[in-house]
Amino acid sequence: MTEINETYKEKISFNKRLVFLYATFGILGAVFYYQIFNLQISNYSEYEIAAENNKNEEISVQPLRGIIFDRNGEILVNNIPTFDLITKPFFIDDPDDFLLKLSSFLEIDEEDKKVFLSQFEKAKTLNKELTLKQSISDEDKAKFLVRSHMFENAYVGKRYLRNYLYPEIFSHSIGYVGRPNEYELDEIYEKRSLNKKINFTYTNQLIIGKTGLEFTYENILTGEFGNNLREVDARGRTLDEQISTEPKVGNNLYTSLDLRSHQAAHKAFNNRKGAVVAIDIKDGSVVTLYSSPTFPTNQLANGILQKDFDELLLSEEKPFFNRALKGRYPPASSIKPAIAMYGIEEGLIDWDFSIFDEGFFTLPEDGRIYRDWKEGGHGDTNLFKAITQSSNTYFFDLAYRSDINQLNKHLSSLGFGGKACIDCFEEDKVFVPEPTWKMNKHNFGWFKGDTVNMGVGQGYLVSTPIQLAKYAYIMANKGKFSDLSLKKDLVKSEKSIEFNKFSNDDWFKLHESMVNVIEGNTGTARRLRERKNYIVAAKTGTAELVSGENREQYSETRLDDNLRDHALIIAFGPMPNPRYAVSVVVENGESGGSVAGPVAISVLNSLIQE
Amino acid sequence: MRYLDFKKFSIYYDPYLIISIALLSILGLFFLYSASDGNASVLIKQSIFVFFGLILMIALSQPDPQIYYSYSGFFLLISITLVFVAIFFGPEINGANRWISFGFITLQPSELCKIFLPIFIASYLYGVKLPINLKNTFLTIFLIFIVFLIVSSQPDLGTAIVILLSGLYVLFLAGLSWTFIGSALAIFVISLPFLWNNFLEPFQRQRIATLFNPDLDPFGSAWNITQSKIAIGSGGIFGKGFGEGTQSHLNFLPETETDFIFAVIAEEFGLVGLTVLIGLYFFIFIRCFYLSINARDRFCRLVIGGLSLVFISTLFINIGMVIGLLPVVGMPLPLISQGGSSLISFYIAFGIIISMASHKKLVPR
Repeated sequence: MTEINETYKEKISFNKRLVFLYATFGILGAVFYYQIFNLQISNYSEYEIAAENNKNEEISVQPLRGIIFDRNGEILVNNIPTFDLITKPFFIDDPDDFLLKLSSFLEIDEEDKKVFLSQFEKAKTLNKELTLKQSISDEDKAKFLVRSHMFENAYVGKRYLRNYLYPEIFSHSIGYVGRPNEYELDEIYEKRSLNKKINFTYTNQLIIGKTGLEFTYENILTGEFGNNLREVDARGRTLDEQISTEPKVGNNLYTSLDLRSHQAAHKAFNNRKGAVVAIDIKDGSVVTLYSSPTFPTNQLANGILQKDFDELLLSEEKPFFNRALKGRYPPASSIKPAIAMYGIEEGLIDWDFSIFDEGFFTLPEDGRIYRDWKEGGHGDTNLFKAITQSSNTYFFDLAYRSDINQLNKHLSSLGFGGKACIDCFEEDKVFVPEPTWKMNKHNFGWFKGDTVNMGVGQGYLVSTPIQLAKYAYIMANKGKFSDLSLKKDLVKSEKSIEFNKFSNDDWFKLHESMVNVIEGNTGTARRLRERKNYIVAAKTGTAELVSGENREQYSETRLDDNLRDHALIIAFGPMPNPRYAVSVVVENGESGGSVAGPVAISVLNSLIQE
Repeated sequence: MRYLDFKKFSIYYDPYLIISIALLSILGLFFLYSASDGNASVLIKQSIFVFFGLILMIALSQPDPQIYYSYSGFFLLISITLVFVAIFFGPEINGANRWISFGFITLQPSELCKIFLPIFIASYLYGVKLPINLKNTFLTIFLIFIVFLIVSSQPDLGTAIVILLSGLYVLFLAGLSWTFIGSALAIFVISLPFLWNNFLEPFQRQRIATLFNPDLDPFGSAWNITQSKIAIGSGGIFGKGFGEGTQSHLNFLPETETDFIFAVIAEEFGLVGLTVLIGLYFFIFIRCFYLSINARDRFCRLVIGGLSLVFISTLFINIGMVIGLLPVVGMPLPLISQGGSSLISFYIAFGIIISMASHKKLVPR
């Protein structure tokens, strides 16, 4: 070792510098210790809560959904248990290998495998459960359970299926449930003031009403959510699960819907397009709300193949379209009683007033011809005959003399252009045409001819089957009515239409004339007489989709199914003290009396003769 | 008395350092048992390292410091060669080539560089005239950067930074001129944006960014730090008790056996436990400070000063990261974290320190 002279100076410099470095670390150490003190003492409670929240996960448990009954206590919708094979992708390393292992004793559809594999990666990253096979058989369940020790990454989960007992009959009125989309989920979190951190496990899966009564009465049917507290680690493994709040089963929903009348409607429609709505006159509750064709609700609620769904969606029959609430049809001749009421109220006509019907009406302004459906006309025609035989000429004349704004008001008071039902799903309130509407919509002024067309329920005037039913109900109940509803025993206020001139006697005569539509020998629906053993008042209608200039042209359009006239009828009975009012529309059915009529009578039969 | 005399055979030792280091190592095993969820194989492996490490430390304190002076170049060369072996022949783990596998154990040779680089620099500076001139300054700095770049290419930024510091500490203690330090700092500050854009990986930049604003990405890069703070904070004064830390045992904390073991200790033993632990480290520093001041010559002074500062730096970088004051960088808690390489390298360092502390200068009176 070479001896080097160490100067005193060098040693002092070293010591100073060493002190400098140690002092720097000393200061740093003080800062660190202060930070530790801050974390552990000053902010202790905050971090303690954070640690608790970390390990405890809140799981919302959905309560069993309420049962839906018809008005006689028949169960329409309930819940049935089912078992699914559910996987935990987070704990699966090789999905192909996993499927191979399962396939050795379970039969799994290729389709299910494909869906599983396509969603596997996403579910794995998010640590979400993934269903491999829905509604497995008891045998498959047993086969899996004896081997469950080999599968820590899968389990058999019990789940309740929404079970629609009459899936093809109440598709539109009751609707169906489904899983919420992201937007709906946000809404649920907010509405039920749930913590966003809350999870829904697969077996407690959140289902919500998507359409119909399931949607409208979601709050009643859902019940109250329960809460489970689950101690987990950061990887989602359950260490312990405790129930903190039991879920409260949803309330049952008692509806005013009548099972037998729906079955009758389903049978009578036989998949033709159209709708029927029947109303209990006692309280304005809807007993029949049927749109045809229907769709299978069980499949929609519990899983439908994309192929089948697309087929339904793209079908030309438009089965998802609720014709009863949204179908816009010209009321055609069924509007005539309403026009008659207007005429009497305004003093334009009375029951003695008559015209000579030569088969057409000529508009004085420009000589334009408005034809009756009967060549040669009905001859001398008073109001009674005009309704019974459905004279167009009489009502062209009456409408011609009407004030469109007053007529609009009158039709609105009968429920046209307004929401008929307070708890129906997505009802279309349509509109009653008047000059301002036409100006905005078509940028054209109102012609007298437009009013004339409205007199026979054609032209711009359209309405939905439920509006027609409400209109029939108001007439049956002589101007008194409540809003329509689907829930049983809903408290509603009774309303009535104020008349100055239209008297009780007029009501009697109006009913009489409508009774004659079926019961009279010249009535347009006289062929319905034999189908029942009580008296029914009615008014038929045949809505023209294309108005031909002449009869030859009209015959041509009839060759195309979709351009054929719609058949309509409104009816109420049994007379003289009506209990039910009904409206029927059969698309492209051509004749109100002989096509829509029988449907109305079968529904009335099922309601009256129980 | 720094040695036991058994007639012909004497053992050189420093009771303060040996006892405190052994105590820290045994405490470390105790903590590791909890941090690894009672994993026996981890504990056994670490115990073997501790046992043989302590023997190695005492063995290395027997030779006269002269040996370390004479062979410092050789030791550094071996260390760098092993780093190259790791880069070219070592197994790739998580995209890095830092390790050499010996079957049942894997070692990280870059850990040796942080010991032998400062020793080599100290021995080089022992032979030159002080205060250090510009030529020697540049030569030394050049060497430091070479080793730094080799290690950071593995890549292993954490160890590379400690290596850089280890060299600079010795240079500074040897009397690096303040003018030089001032201008170097100025250049460093000016070139910071350039370094930020060209030398840091996007994830490294992210780590630094979240340090200042943890809300930026609470479930991404800030996750580890957030969870670590929760673990420490929820420990309170007395902690949750041995094996009772939910943050540690429910996997919220990452790397509980290695980088984040400090948070495990904090959660389970609270401020009281941490104070005892920090006290032990503090005692070691003070002892090293004393030994360094009273070292027998310039070489020993620089080595004891340099190595003890390496030890301090490792500790501060680790704790600073875990308590959320420094960006996340892989750095073990010295003498406690799982991992043989770090443990062995510090036993070597303290072996050499004790050798220098216990061998009196052979000066003829």
